[in-house]
Parts: sequence; structure tokens; C-alpha cells
Amino acid sequence: MAEIPYSPLPPAGEPVDRRTFLSRASGIAMAAGLAAGYGTFGAMAGRFLYPAKPAATAWLFVADVAGFAHGTSLSYTAPDGATVAIARQGTSGGVEDFVALSSTCPHLGCKVHWEGQNNRFFCPCHNGVFDPKGRAVSGPPAEAGQSLGRYPLKIEKGLLYIEVPTERLA
Amino acid sequence: MGLAAWLQERLPVTGDQLRELTNEPVPNHLKRWWFALGGTPAYLFVVQIVTGILLAFYYEPAPSTAYDSVKYITDTAAYGWFFRSVHKWAATLMIAAVILHQMRVFFTGAYRKPREINWLVGMCLLLCTLVAGFTGYSLVYEQLSYWGTTVGANISSNVPVVGNFMKRMLLGGDVYNERTLSRLYIIHAAIMPALTTALIAVHIAIIRMQGVTELKFEDEPADKPAHFSFFPDHLYTEIIAGLVLMILLSALSTVLPATLGPRADPLSTPEVIKPEWFFYVTFRWLKLFSGTFAVLSMGFIVFTMYAWPFVDALIRKKTRFQEASVWIGIVAVLAIIGLTVWEAVVAH
Repeated sequence: MAEIPYSPLPPAGEPVDRRTFLSRASGIAMAAGLAAGYGTFGAMAGRFLYPAKPAATAWLFVADVAGFAHGTSLSYTAPDGATVAIARQGTSGGVEDFVALSSTCPHLGCKVHWEGQNNRFFCPCHNGVFDPKGRAVSGPPAEAGQSLGRYPLKIEKGLLYIEVPTERLA
Repeated sequence: MGLAAWLQERLPVTGDQLRELTNEPVPNHLKRWWFALGGTPAYLFVVQIVTGILLAFYYEPAPSTAYDSVKYITDTAAYGWFFRSVHKWAATLMIAAVILHQMRVFFTGAYRKPREINWLVGMCLLLCTLVAGFTGYSLVYEQLSYWGTTVGANISSNVPVVGNFMKRMLLGGDVYNERTLSRLYIIHAAIMPALTTALIAVHIAIIRMQGVTELKFEDEPADKPAHFSFFPDHLYTEIIAGLVLMILLSALSTVLPATLGPRADPLSTPEVIKPEWFFYVTFRWLKLFSGTFAVLSMGFIVFTMYAWPFVDALIRKKTRFQEASVWIGIVAVLAIIGLTVWEAVVAH
């Protein structure tokens, strides 16, 4: 009796021997694996490049306006870790009395602090000086025209609030 | 007119010519996995280009923004932590693969006549990889990477005559300043990739011109054909190697993702400054000797590595120690491992 070659496909066309079948199947598996692997990588890259939604911000309580003396400042840490210097520079009782500035020097990223006696923000790393509104007036930040970042403030029912980015909930 | 004919008219290349161009006979010994170490860094280099371009979409090379942009990539951007970690791990594996590839070439004597020039090209590729590693780490602008760069620049100033010039060129001034990061960024993301691409092209072109060094192993039957085809046999090997590397990179990036230390603080020097692991050997060597002697001896070692094919030829011609390079290589490898481990285990 003649040996009938085993065929994984219906015997419609040419019979396929085992070696050809395995070689084709592994070739398809390999191509599918490559497409799936690098395809996933490509999809992730696309997702990475697509702009994220703007960072969520929230109005958070800072201090009682009545207890915040003129000429003083406090250091505030936002939920995302940024430190903010908030200073009271007026006595009108309105929100214009206050200023909230990023404590990160735009020059090399050192910590800036408020010097009440000199009426300025000062960066000790390279003697960067900022006026009470955060504008750079001397030192490397002034040469580069980099001022301190500002945060919005508001007063509600005698309480001071700041709008800061909140930590992403992931 | 069919599409094939249309294309044929505009790109007058036939299938046979393409096959002839790509189908280099590959010696049988390349079926052994440690001979795939040359293709490994090339594959990882492509991974670095792809992930590097992705990271460059968000990275901002200025002292006031660099750290925050890396933090954004790591914490906020979708899959940013993954691409940053793959970039970091591919760099680590690439340096390891380049070193292993160079060791394989060294111990099999594949740098000998007529392949001296390709050894020189390979040495340039090693230095490019190390420079890319150094500048890449400094871009993170975390405390250790800032001080690592500062220490690196100070070391280069120990080189006689040109030291200060080198330091000023690297930092864009006498000290680390607001223009330093953009310099390091251009070196890392433009100069080194372009140079490496060109060198790899020359490296491969020379291999194609001379053929891979033929090695015969004792356990191979004499009647077996000495070569197999590049396409598809060797290409399949390379694809599998690529997939294994991708799996390894994904696993490492997921289990041990790239971390972010504290922001660089130019005012406070950390108690312990350590470079990345691949500079441990250099760092330990520099600590063992005084500044100028240390950099000069280091330069001499690098020069000797470059000149090795010619030094080896001289030794083989003038002395009876035909395999001296193997013993010198073993001593060198042990010294490199010893100095690296020494630097890794001690605090200072």
C-alpha cells in the first residue's frame, strides 16, 4: 500500500509534508511574535508622544489672612513636591498684598529664600537677587532674564488659598 | 505598465543583485552565540536611537528645567518610566556587549593583519559609547550626576597642556554653568550618535571587504560545509537575538526601573561621589595615583589599546612568545574586574 503523506490542510490542492508545514507555521508564529512585540512597543510610543491632559490643579488653603503679618513669609510645599515662598508685602487686606513665588531658582535650581530686611528674594548659590514680585534684578538670573515662577492666590472669607498642581492619581 | 516594471525603471536593481549584495557567506563558527556579540551592540544602538528620540520630545536641557522634565517623563508621561528605563538598561547592556565583543576579538586574535584598521575603528566605537554613557548620565541633573560631571571635568583639567582647554570646552566655561547642560546634550544626542553611526558603517564595510575571521573548531566534522548563508539563516539568528534582548530589556526595566535621586544642588557636595559602573575602573585608578600621573597613565593605557595590533605584531616578530597577547589580556581583564569590584565595594 502506498504511503499517504500526512497533510494538515484539507486535501484540496497539493499535499503539504510535515517539514513544510512546520517551517511555514514557525515562520508565521515568528512574524506574529515580531509584529505583536514591536507593535506593542510602537503603540506605547504613540501613547507616550500624545500630549497628556493638563495637570490637575486645586485651590488649597494656605493661612489665615489676619494671622499673616506684613513683612513675613512662609514656605509652602505643593502636593507635587514644588516649594513655594508666600510673602505678605502690603497691609490693604486684599489678595494684592500677597505674592506666591516658586522657590526654585531659574538659574541652576537652588532654593531661593525671602530676605525681609533687604526686601528681596535671594539665591545663595550664585548671588541671584529677585525683587519682591519675583523679577530678577541682579546675578545670573537677571543676565538671563529669568524670573521666579508665580502661583495664583485668592482670599475667601478671610482665608488665603493658592492654586497648585495636585499630585497625579495613578 | 505593472508596478514591478514601474519600480524597476526607477530603481534599476534586480533581485539577483540584491541577493548578491546581502547574501554574504557566513563562516560556520558564527552559529556559536558568543560570536553574536558584535551584532548585539548594533541592535542596542538602534534601541538607543529610538528611545532617545522619544525621550527628547520631553527633555529640556537647561539647569532650571532638566530635572523637572526628567521627573515629568518618569512620573507623568504615559509609559515615560518605561522608555527611560529601557534607554538606561540598553546603555548598560550596550557597554557590556561592546566590552565582551572586544574581548572576543582580542582573545581570538581577530585584530591581527590585515584587520588592524578595524580594531582602530572598534576602539573609537568603544570611546564613543563611553562618552555617550558619561554625557547621558549627566543630563538627568540629579545630585550624583551633577557632581559626577563636575568631577569628570576636573579630572580632564589634570591633563598637561590641553587639560584646561578640554575642561572649558566640556563645561562651556570655567565652572558648571547654565550653558553646560546644552553642551552635554548636543554631545550626547547629536555628535555621538552621528559619529557612532558613521563608525559602525565603516566597521561593517571593512568586515564585508575582508570577511569575518575564519575559525575552525575541533569538534566540527571536516566534511561539513564551512559557510552558511546570511539570508535567511544568519538574519533569523539576529532576529531571535533582537527579540531576546527586547524581552531582557523589558524585564529589567519593569523590575528595576530607572530611579531619580534628589535634584542637583551646586552648594552641597555629596559625601560619596560615584560615577556609573563602567567608569569604576577609571575612577579607582585615578584615586590610586596623583592627578597628572593618573591621567597620563590612563592615556598611555588607551593609546596601547589602540596600538595593540602593532604591538602584538612586534612581540610575535621579535620574541618567541607567540601567544603573549592572551596572557596580557587575561591579566588586563582580571585587573579591570578587580578595580571595578574594589570601587564597587568600598564607600570612598
